[in-house]
Amino acid sequence: MSDFEPKIMTFLCNWCSYAGADLAGVSRIQYPPNTRVIRVPCSGRVDPLFILKCLQDGYDGVLVSGCHPGDCHYISGNYVARRKFAVLKKALEFMGMEPDRVQFSWVSAGEGEKFSQVISKVTETVKALGPAKKLVKRIGR
Amino acid sequence: MKKTKSVVVVGSGIAGIQASLDLAEIGAEVHLVEKTPSIGGRMAQLDKTFPTNDCSLCILSPKMSECARHPGITLHMNSELLSIDGESGDFSVKIKENATYIDADKCVNCGLCEEKCPTKVTDEFDAELRERKAIYRYFLQSVPANYVIDPKYCLKITKGVCGLCEKTCPAEAIDFDDTDKEIAIDCGAVILATGIDAFDPLVYGQYGYKKFPNVVTSLEFERMLCASGPLMGHVVCPGNDKEPKNIAFIQCVGSRDRENAKNYCSSVCCMYAIKEAIIAREHIKGLDATIFFMDVRAYGKDFDRYYERAEKQFGVEFIRSRVAKITELPGGDLRVHYANPDGSKDTRDFSLVVLSVGIQPRKDIQQLAENTGIKLDEFGFCRTGEFNPLDTTRPGVFVCGAIGGPKDIPESVMAASGAVSRAAKLLELKRQEKVSKKEFPPEKDVFGDRPRIGAFICHCGINIGGIVDVPSVVEYARSLPNVEHAEEVLYACSADCLETIKQAIVEKNLNRVLVAACTPRTHEPLFRETLREAGLNQYLFEMANIRDQCSWAHMNEPEMATIKAKELVEMGIAKARRLTPLQKLPVEIDPKALVIGGGLAGITAALELADAGFRVFLVEKEPQLGGNFARVKFAFNGGDPQAFLAEKIREISDNELVTVYTGAGIKGIDGYIGNFKTTVALPDGKSIELEHGVVIVATGAREYETEEYQYRKSKRVVTQLEFEKLLAEGYLTGKPIQNIVMINCVGSREEGRQYCSRLCCAQSIRNALKVKELRPATDVYVLYRDIRTYGTKEKYFGEAREKGVIFSRYDLETKPTVEPINPENPRSKLRVTSFDPILGRKFAIDADLVVLAVSIDAPAENEELAKMLKVPLNADRFFLEAHVKLRPVDFATDGVFVCGLAHCPKNSAESITQATAAAARAMTVLNKMVIEAEGSICEVNPELCAGCGLCVEVCPYAAAQMDEEKGVAVINEALCKGCGACAASCRSGAIDLRGFTNQQIYLAIDSLETVEIEG
Amino acid sequence: MSELTEKIKKIFTDEKLDILIGYEKGSLPLRGTPCFIESAEDADKLIFDSTCHNNLAKYLTDQKKTEVDARKIGIVVKGCDARAVVQLVVEKQFERENIVIIGVPCKGVIDPSKLRAKLRDKEISDFRFDGNKIIVSGENFQETFDKNELLSDGCLSCKYPNAPQYDYFIGDPAEPIASKDEYADIDEFEKKPPDERWEYFEKEYGKCIRCYACRNACPMCYCEQCFVDCSMPQWIGKGGNLSDKMIFHIVRAMHLAGRCVDCGACAAACPLNIDVRLLGKRIEREVAERFDFTAGMDFETPPALATFREDDKQEFIM
Repeated sequence: MSDFEPKIMTFLCNWCSYAGADLAGVSRIQYPPNTRVIRVPCSGRVDPLFILKCLQDGYDGVLVSGCHPGDCHYISGNYVARRKFAVLKKALEFMGMEPDRVQFSWVSAGEGEKFSQVISKVTETVKALGPAKKLVKRIGR
Repeated sequence: MKKTKSVVVVGSGIAGIQASLDLAEIGAEVHLVEKTPSIGGRMAQLDKTFPTNDCSLCILSPKMSECARHPGITLHMNSELLSIDGESGDFSVKIKENATYIDADKCVNCGLCEEKCPTKVTDEFDAELRERKAIYRYFLQSVPANYVIDPKYCLKITKGVCGLCEKTCPAEAIDFDDTDKEIAIDCGAVILATGIDAFDPLVYGQYGYKKFPNVVTSLEFERMLCASGPLMGHVVCPGNDKEPKNIAFIQCVGSRDRENAKNYCSSVCCMYAIKEAIIAREHIKGLDATIFFMDVRAYGKDFDRYYERAEKQFGVEFIRSRVAKITELPGGDLRVHYANPDGSKDTRDFSLVVLSVGIQPRKDIQQLAENTGIKLDEFGFCRTGEFNPLDTTRPGVFVCGAIGGPKDIPESVMAASGAVSRAAKLLELKRQEKVSKKEFPPEKDVFGDRPRIGAFICHCGINIGGIVDVPSVVEYARSLPNVEHAEEVLYACSADCLETIKQAIVEKNLNRVLVAACTPRTHEPLFRETLREAGLNQYLFEMANIRDQCSWAHMNEPEMATIKAKELVEMGIAKARRLTPLQKLPVEIDPKALVIGGGLAGITAALELADAGFRVFLVEKEPQLGGNFARVKFAFNGGDPQAFLAEKIREISDNELVTVYTGAGIKGIDGYIGNFKTTVALPDGKSIELEHGVVIVATGAREYETEEYQYRKSKRVVTQLEFEKLLAEGYLTGKPIQNIVMINCVGSREEGRQYCSRLCCAQSIRNALKVKELRPATDVYVLYRDIRTYGTKEKYFGEAREKGVIFSRYDLETKPTVEPINPENPRSKLRVTSFDPILGRKFAIDADLVVLAVSIDAPAENEELAKMLKVPLNADRFFLEAHVKLRPVDFATDGVFVCGLAHCPKNSAESITQATAAAARAMTVLNKMVIEAEGSICEVNPELCAGCGLCVEVCPYAAAQMDEEKGVAVINEALCKGCGACAASCRSGAIDLRGFTNQQIYLAIDSLETVEIEG
Repeated sequence: MSELTEKIKKIFTDEKLDILIGYEKGSLPLRGTPCFIESAEDADKLIFDSTCHNNLAKYLTDQKKTEVDARKIGIVVKGCDARAVVQLVVEKQFERENIVIIGVPCKGVIDPSKLRAKLRDKEISDFRFDGNKIIVSGENFQETFDKNELLSDGCLSCKYPNAPQYDYFIGDPAEPIASKDEYADIDEFEKKPPDERWEYFEKEYGKCIRCYACRNACPMCYCEQCFVDCSMPQWIGKGGNLSDKMIFHIVRAMHLAGRCVDCGACAAACPLNIDVRLLGKRIEREVAERFDFTAGMDFETPPALATFREDDKQEFIM
């Protein structure tokens, strides 16, 4: 499984985590190239359906990252999101989905280093899990 | 005399930025003069901000880029003010722009020059904790983003050798022929916001700063904590590179120190030390943090709760003691020598000591005062008046931020907006008819047209092209459906390339554009404008970030980076196919203001707005104007508050633009920014309806009705305000009043009112001094918990002690008691008993009068008003602003502002500042005929809406509301900010966010789908 | 005339009800059926016992949906029906003042699917309760069951047998059955290795024929358009793909998070006896333990996922 390169979808809020990702780049901090990015205005924009859709489409991992509590550009979007994500994560874990496939983080605009660490960690853990099987849509089944 | 709409703002810290943005929004032409290569000031150096632990740069960055992009603001970087000639309304300001040897328009901040530069110097932005090059970017997120050359160190400039940067620069941005330039600017007003210096603790030899490497200043520690600082947030002791086990914070270094001519409190150090202690504990597990302090001055809104959390939740230890000296132990640890409350001496060992250095006037303040012709106060801050805290001694020159005395961030922001209101009336400002100053060709109708996408893949010199195989990305883009045109460009953002994009749009009849380059956070506005210039709706644009989030982050994996770039482009194209033109809804503005509350704040706000030419309705529930301020009899500087108030009330009644409704109540408020309708109940039982564009909430607060300390039971117990009345009526004249006991914090800072009422310490001391002035023989005792005479009020604390006012501290557990000496006699003197921790025993005073500093209470009626306005209250029922740091007078709901005691306890100068600020913030709305709502906002499909109201609940802006008649949700387009929380919460998909629709995101996800066929 | 009918007659008149939703004896034994009463006299046919398993709140939404009206509706409610009514009021599905909530004590209701499973193909013609026993009989057979064997799973651990909010309450409040720990099944299930758990859900949800009976029976499923029917975007495929079925059930459970009153209507409705309750119960537990929230207890608290506390737990955040 060592040559397995996971494909990971990330949803980054425009004001903090996307900016943190930019800062990682500006600081030339290196991290694994396995993530793809969807920029959203706020982590509160992320409907659990987006995450499930990613899993169905065969992404090996999904990360949603927003502003730290209290930093939300839209005052409280991340707080509402936090509740939704807590429930979704627990539900998937309960069903037997590998908990590390769906991750959430807070990364601020100043945390380029943290962003790279988060991405590295998600990539490593997903790599260790191997290719996603659960929930992946297969034609003919 | 109003001649010009130009204004000069000097200094671009948070105060200068806020002032510039507000001025530009009001329609002024702003010249922002900044000494360093970046705007942002002191706040950009901070890691977090108290009391919310907000990331400083996260909240500042959007303001910085807004400031740099605003068409009404011209930045003069690396510049200083030389002189101000002329007079108020008609100044000529000379500035000097220092040479940077780099053409900022050409620099693409790729950083290649920095790599090549051989000269290393210490980095002042990072508190000299790391090195930078002679050619450098001021800090990673600097705005403007370009590099500059430091001529003091550049070898080419100093010695005529090297020039490596010039040879390396792919953009040919380096220009060694650059020279300093002098510029003259005609303007109507000048706002000074040059900020402060941190105190240099070298004079405190006993603390060993610079001698012991593990003694650092709080500013250095701030950089050490910061994730983008020199240590990347991994705190280690500078002396031995070890993670600290425990940290001591020494307070009042350079504050409250008469010997070193710092007889003022720096106002911010208690809170930042608490913050740094909390954050440090978050960084290092098991770290112990101890704060050595004299008084904990947690006087601001929600500060005391933060203080309490630090102690109880985070286990920060607080020791009330002034530290005598620090010695170094072998291995680099430090020994702190201090005295216990009982006078005994003690020591403690720490791995790291942080000196909480105070605020001091900038070193060059004298020069600035000379250049600008303003006077300074005894401490070297700009001299201002108690009732005109934003005006300098020179008419037309205003101050904001800490240049006028120690201030934290929200106070600086308030002062900045306040200074704008003061300056605005000197400028020739017409109501702005159009939102944009630029003319664009009419937009092409693309409705129903098949997507024809143009993809432009940027090399960014070698920033992208050196890693990512750009030609193959272009090839890949070209292969995707609906891509009509794909090409590679060297610098997508360069003027010639923007022209290329425009031509391609026209020639190839493109109706969607994707640029794969750097980050949309900085460059999307530029490309959107290009689309508009080419006659396309600006929302038909999408960006793929293949530099900051691809080539720069995967420099060693070019193949993987290329695959990622291709896929990011593919996702962008997938979304682009579904982009639709969006319009920013124009909202017309009714240029009238409603001010609720006719106390000091309401009167100030109303007058500021009327002076700027706006109609104002001032509604006061009492029969007369004045509020609590009508009861204030004395001022610190000997001024007469009632004469001041009378003058203001006269100005109000003389001003035709202000209509006052006294004895009136608010019955209902409907509408939204620009278009409010308010029903006011008049004293005669009738009601009227007012139409207005903004609301300013200035409803004030009231004295707490305590049941403690015999209040209302004995005539000898009064509140401080009642005491002022007694004094003014001659209470002390000719009477042998022996003892007056003042008790502070009555109701405040305890269960039920976990906040500091902020103004009472200074008020008690002011009234104590008044007693000493009127009858020196009377003994005055002040029983307090902490003396919180923050800022320059500290000197009165010293003065009071000098004049013999006796201060004794008590703890919440050992509150003083007040009992009549003779319970039978209702006029009996009172015996006050208290425990003094320094004496270590109880003492009793027979008081002629007991004066209570009762807490300031938010009235219960706030709840009703908050509901009508759809704005929130905090736990103490004070109105809760949109953001405690950067939007201290705004509500999240547009067009509604707050000032005065309604916001939180504050003194009269602070109320005046905030009210003036509220007026300026209101002007940013009122001085426009029309404003634009966001384009990327939510919409409801009423067919699908079941009316469950979830969206109403999650919307922080009150933009989602129920149409009660139809039973479905509606979005008020004027209020929606486009966060999409409602869309993500809507189960039936009835709400969607334009520009980030479910369908667009779905397709972006789906574009990379890898379906497996099961065999 | 029973206490129930007598009191309801009075309520009907006093409150000037236009209509009352309650239960009557069904045409099949052991199946109490919802009925609509339009005059006080009709109340005579009302019953309430363990055969009344339907959640009447569902009929309330249907009533209120078909006509935009201000009719005053009375509703006879068990604990779970009442919570659904409360939650629906919170979700603005009807005006509180137009609803008269009449609580009745619930001693648990019989799950028709359990009965089906017990009887196989035998048809019962009569039944009677005898303490905790149910004796059913039909052609050539008579069987005695422990009542708990037939009760809905939710009833066995139900904490709210009585309406937490009501205008009238008829009878003495019932004690919870509490024959079983509320989360015992969940605890048991969570002990299994993840792959086994996943297999279980694949097996259960794999049976789904996408008939949406669960959704249609649910009092909280009142969306104008269910996400499964959305075409822009088409979140999940229309056919019988396993992944699509799984997503349907996960999202349905997510959409009920903080709203589900655990009435068991979905499970009772499923023709394939799919275990639709397990995941919902786990989510309900999460909501209760994490956010200290139980759906349908009062009219003021907003739905758990529409609100937040700044200090909500966030141990799951990286």
